[in-house]
Amino acid sequence: MMSTTVAELTESTLEKMQNAGFDAAQVSVSVSEQDELSISHNEPSLLRSTEDHAMTLTGIVDQRKATMALTDLSPGTVETGVTELLERARLAPQDEANRVSKNQTGHFEQGPLTADRDLMALKIEELLEFRQSETPKMQIEEGSATHRIVRECLMTSGGSKLSCIVGSYELGVFGSANDGENTSSFNYTGGTANDLAGAHASDLFGIGQMMRDTEHQINTRSIPGNFVGDIILAPTAVDDLLMWLHSQLQDFSLISDSSLYKNRVGTQIASEQLSIRSRFDAPGHAPYTNDAFTADQLTLVDRGKLLCLTPSFYGSLKTGLRHTPVSSGWSIDAGDTEREKMISDISQGAMVNRLSMGSPGPNGDFSGVIKNSFYIEDGESGQALSETMISGNMAGMLNDIVSISVEHMDLGSADFPWIRIAGLNFS
Amino acid sequence: MGRPQPPLGVDYAESRLHELRKTRTVMIDGNLTANSETTEGGSSARVFNKGYWGFASTPSMSDESVAKVARKAADNASTMCRFGDQPAIEMPTESHVGEYGFNGRPPLSQKESMELLETLNAHCQKAYPALKSASFMMMEENHEKRLATSFGGEGLSTINRAAFYIIFSAEDKDGRPVELMEAISGRGNLSDLELSLDSLESRMDELNQHLMAKCHAVAARGGEQTVIVAPLLAGMLAHEAMGHPCEADAVLGGAVTAKLVGKPVASELITMVDLAHTYQGKELMVPVYIDDEGTESKDVTMIENGILKSFMTNRESAARLGIAASGSARAYTFNDEPLIRMRNTAILPGTSKVEDMIADVEDGYYLMRTSNGQADSTTEFMFGIDLAYEIKNGKLGNAIKDTTVSGTAINMLKTVDAVSDDMEWECNGYCGKKQPMVVSLGGPALRAQVHLGGE
Repeated sequence: MMSTTVAELTESTLEKMQNAGFDAAQVSVSVSEQDELSISHNEPSLLRSTEDHAMTLTGIVDQRKATMALTDLSPGTVETGVTELLERARLAPQDEANRVSKNQTGHFEQGPLTADRDLMALKIEELLEFRQSETPKMQIEEGSATHRIVRECLMTSGGSKLSCIVGSYELGVFGSANDGENTSSFNYTGGTANDLAGAHASDLFGIGQMMRDTEHQINTRSIPGNFVGDIILAPTAVDDLLMWLHSQLQDFSLISDSSLYKNRVGTQIASEQLSIRSRFDAPGHAPYTNDAFTADQLTLVDRGKLLCLTPSFYGSLKTGLRHTPVSSGWSIDAGDTEREKMISDISQGAMVNRLSMGSPGPNGDFSGVIKNSFYIEDGESGQALSETMISGNMAGMLNDIVSISVEHMDLGSADFPWIRIAGLNFS
Repeated sequence: MGRPQPPLGVDYAESRLHELRKTRTVMIDGNLTANSETTEGGSSARVFNKGYWGFASTPSMSDESVAKVARKAADNASTMCRFGDQPAIEMPTESHVGEYGFNGRPPLSQKESMELLETLNAHCQKAYPALKSASFMMMEENHEKRLATSFGGEGLSTINRAAFYIIFSAEDKDGRPVELMEAISGRGNLSDLELSLDSLESRMDELNQHLMAKCHAVAARGGEQTVIVAPLLAGMLAHEAMGHPCEADAVLGGAVTAKLVGKPVASELITMVDLAHTYQGKELMVPVYIDDEGTESKDVTMIENGILKSFMTNRESAARLGIAASGSARAYTFNDEPLIRMRNTAILPGTSKVEDMIADVEDGYYLMRTSNGQADSTTEFMFGIDLAYEIKNGKLGNAIKDTTVSGTAINMLKTVDAVSDDMEWECNGYCGKKQPMVVSLGGPALRAQVHLGGE
């Protein structure tokens, strides 16, 4: 299905919804194709090709709203879907915050529109050759090179029309390292890019370093006893901290009034070293939202100061808070401290590559097991750790940032540095 | 709708038609923030030929589409031959034929769902004045799959899961938000869960009491502690910490379990199983009679009286390990390939009474609910604990703040010195492993030594 057909189907379905009796409506249609070349247990294993269609209808009648998603886009199914949606919406409670976007327009294109299977095969071969020659103890349980192309159109009865054609590649590795009876914890990394050709597979998304580190995690040690120390969160672990912050700025926390930050816009919520900016044009993404708003680039936290909350259009109307459309993709500004200097400045702590923890509650208290992590003592990175837990508070961690690294890792949707944080309880 | 038709002339092939219907409704303090229905369906084919797999899918179930994806899957398997020859493997060919539907109650109408949510919201506002927020979420998920394989497997299978979540939040003495969730889940539609104000009132009262206790919670003492693990947490332990390392793909990937068959990995009180569809004559929450490779689903006893016994397999891993295929291959949607997935994983009950297990603890913790859990190939695990109480001199004391419990399952299960005689099941979450999957977890209460996060 070509993009013109996607747009035509979106437009004709919107018309059907209006004719059916909806006061306001939103329709999105997407057509996507994916090729995935997989490794299983250190061998090329599977070529998977998928073709997907999706239509999402949101209808509002008498301030009552319902949503329906379909994959069968045949006229009869869509017709029935519109009728059923109207019935579903009519039974929903009235809410004057139920509205659709107006006059948002844009067309966005990026990335490779066709899969280069030779390139994907080359990346798989590079990963396997690297494993064999450089990290033979690493067992790649799963690895894949993927190409995806999405053509989408999103329209509302308020005159919004947003569309995109986005192609991208993904490359990732998951596995553990073995030596005789001993095995490491599993480890993984991967990312999204518009092209994989520019570098050897092991140099993309920290894959080679992850495989080397995993081999060094076969033999582990425990911490010598409980202590309060510093951690360096690697880019792969920084996302856990950021996800908690994002959850505090979004609809559920704002509507249920459980966010620590609801009244903190314009105030200092983190160390002055921390700046968080959008990268809504990241590979694989288009800069608009599911509720049909263009998402302009923004700074979320500027030198520690919270600049905005991120409610949806509905959340904004519900709470009276300013609407800030956000799409996917974030970056944290690199700092001015070399990573090696960060390590040498720590008397006792850990380099944390992955944080395994429960979902921290709205107050931010958490404890979690640090995985794929290395003990630091007297400024030197030592042996990998096992069964080590840290506890603290997410909001507190944002304030307790000591330094941010010059180095950073670009994973596509995320571009993060290493972040040193003080005052965590190790047990 | 067409019929599944596996392609011919290859070592193995399967063809599947798969429809997935979901509903999701969320009310936050009387505001309906989600009210959606999703239907996704299509056909897929997977081919194994000359040592390589090919897969293809399309969002249509017509005969023409079924034939198209069969050709594409075969082409994809051929394309993989660019990587060179692979040694031949002979996959087990035993196959099953059967149709397994579900006859539950008629689903709740949209009107009944809305009335229930509004009634519950109004009740909470009146009955629990200290609450800051009350949210409710309703989810239904119904899978229907038709399958045919080149080995002769043929079947219709269904998975029907309903889940209802209640989330209360309040403020502690310092004005900080405190949250707690109750989940009710089972096989079928929401109408099969017995949801009404009458049936939910006592559970909401209890949830409110726990939340109020949590508003005055104290920090746990970090480090090794004696704990009573409540039944559903034991189910999570079974699934995450020992279940995943007993999936044959993890075993082939070098999980620590690979070299422990026949060796003690737990206390003699521990027997752990992944049940296909039935326990003690009763159909389980996620019954799987035929898997997505056309193999009859069979129970797997992973640990028997503390000894590691066997693994969950699909056809390929069974061939590689030289053991039987357990019928554990499942795909989440039509465009997913089948992977080895757990079905109904549980530690089986023992003979102790929970009250006696608590009474025998001088200083420890009663861990009641988990927010989530993770584990890895070493059996090292972590669970978030969002409801727990101190045990002092055999009696429950203060609630404790959110914490995390961690350890290595093999070490932790060896410390189990009591297993309760009751058992609870749930199926409210998803297992994540490339694809999400509906699974159920069950267990009795356990008493053990484990590492608790805290001050």
